[in-house]
Amino acid sequence: MLFYYLRLSALSYKRNPILSSLMVLAVAIGISAYMVIYTLNYVMGGNPIPQKSEQLFHVQLDIGNPNQSFDPPRQLTYLDSMALMRDGRASRQTMSSKFVGIIEPENPELRPFRSVGRGASADFFAMFDVPFLYGSSWNEDADTNLQQVVVLSRELNERLYGGGDSTGEILNMEGNTFQVLGVIDEWNPVPKYYDVNNGPFDTGEEIYLPWNLIPSLELSRAGNTSCHKPVVGVGWQAFLNSECVWIQYWVELETPEAEADYANFINNYGAEQKQLGRFEKPLNNNILDVEEWLIEQEVLPDETKILSALAAMLLAVCLLNTIGLLLSKFLSKSPEIGVRQALGAHKGSLFIQHVIEAGFIGLIGGLFGAVLAGFGLEGVKVLLGEDLMQTDWIQLDLNLIAITMLMAIMSTIVAGLYPIWRACNVNPAIHLKTQ
Amino acid sequence: MLQMKDVCKVFRTELVETHALNEFSLTIDEGEFVTITGPSGCGKTTFLNIAGLLETLSTGQYLLDDIDVSTLSDYQRAKLRNQKIGFIFQSFNLMPDLNLFDNIDVPLRYRGMKAAERKERIDEALESVGLFARKKHVPSQLSGGQQQRVAIARALVGNPLFLLADEPTGNLDSNTAHGVMDLLQKINDDGTTIIMVTHDQDLASQSKRNVHILDGRISSSDLTTVNENAEPRAVFA
Repeated sequence: MLFYYLRLSALSYKRNPILSSLMVLAVAIGISAYMVIYTLNYVMGGNPIPQKSEQLFHVQLDIGNPNQSFDPPRQLTYLDSMALMRDGRASRQTMSSKFVGIIEPENPELRPFRSVGRGASADFFAMFDVPFLYGSSWNEDADTNLQQVVVLSRELNERLYGGGDSTGEILNMEGNTFQVLGVIDEWNPVPKYYDVNNGPFDTGEEIYLPWNLIPSLELSRAGNTSCHKPVVGVGWQAFLNSECVWIQYWVELETPEAEADYANFINNYGAEQKQLGRFEKPLNNNILDVEEWLIEQEVLPDETKILSALAAMLLAVCLLNTIGLLLSKFLSKSPEIGVRQALGAHKGSLFIQHVIEAGFIGLIGGLFGAVLAGFGLEGVKVLLGEDLMQTDWIQLDLNLIAITMLMAIMSTIVAGLYPIWRACNVNPAIHLKTQ
Repeated sequence: MLQMKDVCKVFRTELVETHALNEFSLTIDEGEFVTITGPSGCGKTTFLNIAGLLETLSTGQYLLDDIDVSTLSDYQRAKLRNQKIGFIFQSFNLMPDLNLFDNIDVPLRYRGMKAAERKERIDEALESVGLFARKKHVPSQLSGGQQQRVAIARALVGNPLFLLADEPTGNLDSNTAHGVMDLLQKINDDGTTIIMVTHDQDLASQSKRNVHILDGRISSSDLTTVNENAEPRAVFA
């Protein structure tokens, strides 16, 4: 009967094309507006590494000013980061921070240019499942022995080496030479969870090198730095010895037991530092997994919540209109419903027939809605602009199109319940005589 | 086959209480052709709606094929209606979007019949009313008489126990009306019971029995005399 009812739905659409199209339009507008905002929320608030987000933990040590009740700072000091790295308590761990450097290409046709890079520990790539196009990352020896090696992004490799296998090439940056060990493939986690405090929706870095090279080569740091005590002295060494936080620290812990052990470990470390007089606040250290970290950092801007509410209200208004239009459409079908009852249809079968008809309208509305949402998202990209943030990820994927369809169908059916109930409860006798 | 005993039907509004049928008792046997006559508002259509299970009765008893219908659910009443009753309406009540084949298909769909059997029955029904060649036409492409013949085919396609016809010739010119009447006579001759509401005494005289209703009660129930010497008429308009 499903195909029979679908055919009746198509015929019913043709019988009242204007009324039916108005319903489709109302559903399409409401759904598209909602889906544009939903898509932004879905991508911005989604889990960027679902396969292991529960095993990756961001570490926070509460090294704040005892007179202020702020939460632990987002980043760690050099002293604490190095102490945790030396202990190596987790199965994998990485320090991570941004730098900028001027690259001097060997190709004479290319002029020197500024590039944003990231210093990281060897485990960074394995921890965050970074895919490689060519070569591989460096190992712990490179970290320890300050080997001047780099991993390039796909885009930088395209720019410098035409996209070919550049492993083994020598790169000049800031007057230093580096050997290219690998090229990473497309990798743009959204949000950029491993460094949310330096632009969660920024594009990824172009060049990666062992973290220890940043201070040893005195590369220019980039990203947020916060100091709750003044830096004593000048120069890199003074900064490294300061209480300024500027390093993101992540660990990989594979089991809940490992997580509990690590939490104890950093608390013991904190207690030790308190005894030494460095940490002055009560113990308030955190290890948060990826999703907890994104929620804690409120990565989704408040504006998206307001926009979500507005889009939901617009959808509700459109559905209210659809209720009115469906009521008009279904009540105008009362004579036909009466005839069907006389010919043997019971209320249940009539109800199903009209639920399918409402769903059919929802389906067409959803199709138009998906197209409109596609245009809407292009508009959002133009509004946000490439300068503000990367926008490539703002698009409907198959999941979102399926959600759009499902939402359009379900919301139209829900909107149709009252009109359907009214239409199925008409007295057939009245309409059979007067038709 | 159809037994109503002391059936009352009361329509109530806030101000008025109308007794459409009042202690109405009637028995109709298999094979009869009964016409129901009476002035407007006497309860003819109410009787037809109750007989067709489209309305419930207020009090009394209605046995359809020995089944007491007053205790049936909506689903059971719909099933019984689908299997045992065929309807013919004054305004044909064909579905304008569906072609003739699909119009006649409707009651069979609700019976859950297989496609091959439905097709066989529909083709047979269309043949019987002489409209097989037009099965892909929509109702608006047919004359009134042809539309009523489609409605008759739709009523007959499920092999019902009886046909309920409400003024089946009311929207037709007299020549076409006689054609439809002759078709109904033929159907009755083939064994199908027919209960027909009409204003037309001439048509009523063509049935085997005429029941006259007045103020919701039967005022007379007489066997009619068929004029054997009447001129033969074309069966179809």
